[in-house]
Amino acid sequence: MDVIVEQYFDFSLIFDNFDSLMQGFWETIQLSIFAGVLSLVLGLFLALLRQLPGRALAPVRWATIAYIDAFRGIPVLLVILLISGSLGAFAVEGVLPRDLAIPNWLGKPDNFWYGVIAITLCYGAYMAEVYRAGLEAVPRSQMEAARSLGMSHATAMRHVIVPQAVRKVIPPLLNDFIALTKDTALISVLGFVEVVQAGRDVQSETFNSSALTAGAILFLLLTIPLARLVDWLIAGQEAKFQRAIP
Amino acid sequence: MPVAESVLRLEGVRKSFGNLDVLRGIDLDVARGEVVCIIGPSGSGKSTLLRCMNLLEPPDAGQILLEGRKLSEARSADDLDYVRRRVGMVFQQFNLFPHRSAIENVSLAQRAVLKRPDAETRARSESLLQRVGLGDKLNEYPDRLSGGQQQRVAIARALAMDPHVMLFDEVTSALDPELIKEVLDVMRELADEGMTMLVVTHEMTFAREVANRIVFMDQGYIVEEGPPDEVLGNPRHERTQRFLGLVMEH
Repeated sequence: MDVIVEQYFDFSLIFDNFDSLMQGFWETIQLSIFAGVLSLVLGLFLALLRQLPGRALAPVRWATIAYIDAFRGIPVLLVILLISGSLGAFAVEGVLPRDLAIPNWLGKPDNFWYGVIAITLCYGAYMAEVYRAGLEAVPRSQMEAARSLGMSHATAMRHVIVPQAVRKVIPPLLNDFIALTKDTALISVLGFVEVVQAGRDVQSETFNSSALTAGAILFLLLTIPLARLVDWLIAGQEAKFQRAIP
Repeated sequence: MPVAESVLRLEGVRKSFGNLDVLRGIDLDVARGEVVCIIGPSGSGKSTLLRCMNLLEPPDAGQILLEGRKLSEARSADDLDYVRRRVGMVFQQFNLFPHRSAIENVSLAQRAVLKRPDAETRARSESLLQRVGLGDKLNEYPDRLSGGQQQRVAIARALAMDPHVMLFDEVTSALDPELIKEVLDVMRELADEGMTMLVVTHEMTFAREVANRIVFMDQGYIVEEGPPDEVLGNPRHERTQRFLGLVMEH
């Protein structure tokens, strides 16, 4: 029993490494925010492409569906490795400009951005499906009313359909964001020191896992409030729905 | 019929959904300022006819001329724009935008489509809502309004685009009986002011009092049309008689 406590709950070890763990956690938060915001934007963009009307735009819809299917079906870790392993080579070969292939934007190292790009590519596809559910849940008659007032498809989407759809899917989008936050841990395979890698560094020095326990607790501090927020939002929506039924 | 300028003219309009022929060749000519009530049993094609007129449903065959311009079957963006700036529509289920207040419902397309300046849009929306008796409900959201109030907002919303023709698709069918009158009163006023109106309705009293012409449809055809006294008072066709017999019983 003592061994278990010592392996996982050695608080003096945690306090000794508190600064580096917090630094790692701060990187985790930044990864989550960048990848989260970009995924939200990419997801909406993909969902809108998928909803484009008319026969002429069918190839755009198919290409979008193919993209979503592909990136929903590939492990995030694999995408991280694909991107980080070869983007640099593109700069050497001159296929991509150096600033794009080996990004050091905002003072962050290339591995940070490879992680953000890979997670965005995958979570953009997940979130596109969430947005799609929301867009399809807005009654067709809303689009008809908007079009009958002279709005174009794009104008109707922007002012009428998307605002209603997004409201409906904020809870599932937040759920995806929680999952995204956890998947930032995968970027540790690139040697980028976020909270998990920070914990592993301590673990390999001391043969003690308490720093990783601290990492787990830090994740919970982030994800549990988000989960409660989701519950609260869903409860609010249900209350509104109940009111609508006389 | 009065010898007046033709606003909307349909020639041989047909529409089917799969195997179902909903419109089987409709000819109709509507003059400016005319109020045409379209009646008939459910499934006769009344609503589809109205939806063809503003190209919510593109006709499969036939021609539609709006203020002299022939609309192509291709439904080009140009045609859609032309039609929808001239034809307003009010729906059975109101279809207000639930995330917008009453005045925002009326304002949205004025700003987004007509690019009207904010102050002008605001003034216009307020005066329209006052006109339909909702001057005190400007900032209410649709879920806080009764069905009759929602439908009046929907009418104001359509009028805000300065349409030349208004289409009403069974606009009182989803309303509780005590709320029907307030909506019909607004429509009556509109007719008195000379608006060209096509009204699909089951309100026979309204049709008799307000319409210049009644069109009776059945199974995708116009069976009979004429002044209300004739069509409602002395229908020639057996099908019209039977329908009116059923409707008038209650």
